[in-house]
Amino acid sequence: MTPFLFYTLSFLALYGALNTIFRKNPITCAMHLALTMVALAGLFFNIGAYFIAGVQLVVYAGAVMVLFVMVVMLFDNKQTSETKDNKHMAVKVFISVFMLGILSGVIPHSTGFTNKIVAPEVTPTKSLATLLFSDYVLFFEWIGVLLMIVAVGVVLLSRSEDS
Amino acid sequence: MNSLFAIGIVVLVAATVIGLLMSIAHLITRYTQKPANTQSDSDKDLPYECGLIGTPAQSSRIPSGYYLTAILFVLFDIEIIFLYPWAIAYRDFLSTGDGLGYLTAFIIFLLLFILGLFWEIRVKALNWK
Amino acid sequence: MGEDIFSSVINTVKIVIIFLFMVHMVPLLVWVERRASAFMQNRFGPNRVGPFGLTQLLADLVKFIFKEDFASSKTNKFYFYLAPVLAIIPVALAFGSLPLSSPIYIDSFQLFGYSLGPYLFEIRSFPMDVGIIFVFGVSSLAVYSLLLAGWSSGSKFSLLGALRASAQAISYELALSLSLLGVLILFNTFSFDQIIEMQNQSLNFQFFSKEIKINFLPNWGIFYQPLGALLLFVALFAEANRLPFDLPEAEAELVAGYHTEYGGIKIIIFYMGEYGHMLVASSLMVILYFGGYNLYPLLNEEILQSWLLPNFSLTATSLLTSLILFLCFFLKVLFFLWVFIWVRWTLPRFRYDQLMDLGWKTLLPWSLFNAIATAVVIWLVNWGNA
Repeated sequence: MTPFLFYTLSFLALYGALNTIFRKNPITCAMHLALTMVALAGLFFNIGAYFIAGVQLVVYAGAVMVLFVMVVMLFDNKQTSETKDNKHMAVKVFISVFMLGILSGVIPHSTGFTNKIVAPEVTPTKSLATLLFSDYVLFFEWIGVLLMIVAVGVVLLSRSEDS
Repeated sequence: MNSLFAIGIVVLVAATVIGLLMSIAHLITRYTQKPANTQSDSDKDLPYECGLIGTPAQSSRIPSGYYLTAILFVLFDIEIIFLYPWAIAYRDFLSTGDGLGYLTAFIIFLLLFILGLFWEIRVKALNWK
Repeated sequence: MGEDIFSSVINTVKIVIIFLFMVHMVPLLVWVERRASAFMQNRFGPNRVGPFGLTQLLADLVKFIFKEDFASSKTNKFYFYLAPVLAIIPVALAFGSLPLSSPIYIDSFQLFGYSLGPYLFEIRSFPMDVGIIFVFGVSSLAVYSLLLAGWSSGSKFSLLGALRASAQAISYELALSLSLLGVLILFNTFSFDQIIEMQNQSLNFQFFSKEIKINFLPNWGIFYQPLGALLLFVALFAEANRLPFDLPEAEAELVAGYHTEYGGIKIIIFYMGEYGHMLVASSLMVILYFGGYNLYPLLNEEILQSWLLPNFSLTATSLLTSLILFLCFFLKVLFFLWVFIWVRWTLPRFRYDQLMDLGWKTLLPWSLFNAIATAVVIWLVNWGNA
């Protein structure tokens, strides 16, 4: 059961990611990226990281991608057909494959993960919370400061365009 | 039954039922309605505008308030989702005797949230034109 | 799958039945709405088609199927036809994760010579340990159908209506999630089963290291979080695009907003999505604040089993218990659906800037206050027992 689900969700994620790159219509790209996010949430759910799966759904697929789609819709009515520049395609493909090779080769060896499915403890979210708020509470507060800075910055930047 | 598999079945069942309804409607239309008058030179093809015909196409820009709302939503959503693990472990924290520390972390984070929100309200960033 | 064929088949049938239950609540709700609105406006509603007009919606459904399925040449046809499907899927997923009744326990029995062991079937489409975050997540996914419907219609008014509807939806999602934060602080868990279990006892709480226990009241969330319940209810109104937050569908404002260009069965599917949202919202209120399918001092799984068990077998007891508790849940949900319908025909519609002000400047600060107050009060009353 689990290999079937893993392969289906991975196929969906890859399909979404490849379509995001290779399609012309910007809304299609954005929707396929949202599909990738949902498939990733399913993959997280599959290995037992339920809270992270929920966060992926809520924040990535539900907030960030909605923002992307809204922005694409706001700016889309001027240009509906893209020009596809095929000029240095071989170089682009080579760099992409090279980066993919680096990522898939380096990351597994450096973090030392095995390919076992993570066995969840009784309540993994509570242990996440305990860790986050005891050892890393200062980083938690810094994240709050960072988000506040971004909020203020966004308002100021959008102001300076209007007036 | 595995949860994800059941979720997949729910999505498939929903899509099948709705797709079936729309297919039946489409087939009924195709075999009972004349196809000739749906093409681009007829009035049926224009977007619906309360009976008026035509409007200047690219007249107005779409207001930028939508963009600001979406970005602020993303930010505050991230802040709130950070508080969810804190919330469900709060009572367990209290029983360890160090409750005031955890409550303080929460209050400081929410104070930053409140500071951002009230600054924006005061600067009238959230007013709709 | 690790289980046998019988339980897989029963689970699949259960999923289909729950989805069809949600779909079939829509005609019932529309009938209630039309009759109730007529009653409130001192006129008759539909009362000719069936007994009391009950089959009016069936007739309407047939009429809508026979209408022309038209998409103008300016539309992006794939997304035009995809948007109604995307309106139903998040609602179906959210409704599937809510527990509707107590689990059914089937004892071992013999079927065609096979001995099938004892089973435990839960009355929901899929088991979900992180129910609250899942429901919140798929509600966020419901915004996509608004955006796609408006954009793919090819008309500027539809696009504007879609942007307004989605801006309204995402603004009220913040208030929704903060009210849910109050529930989480109180109940300490994400899972709906445990929340219902915790409400299944008599009202008891610690008060500065004295324990107060009131025996005739159940431990419902509404007694601990009245402000949070009100804020959640208002935010759920806005999520379901119901009046008074009706502007995306209002007829005088933007014709019909994001579903102007839709006709025939597709608009019925959008209405199915809206009534499905209402159903999920009412169920969520009942589960989080009103005890779910239990009614503690009177109806409970243990109490029912102690009545029925001397007379029936284990399987029949469990089936009857599940049925009775489902009726209990359904009656509570019907009450909240009635409140949705009642408010719709009583209050006038909000203007768009009033709506956004309400979401950002009123609901959000009050939800923050609710969350902080809940946390501080729980800290204070637990101060005695460290």
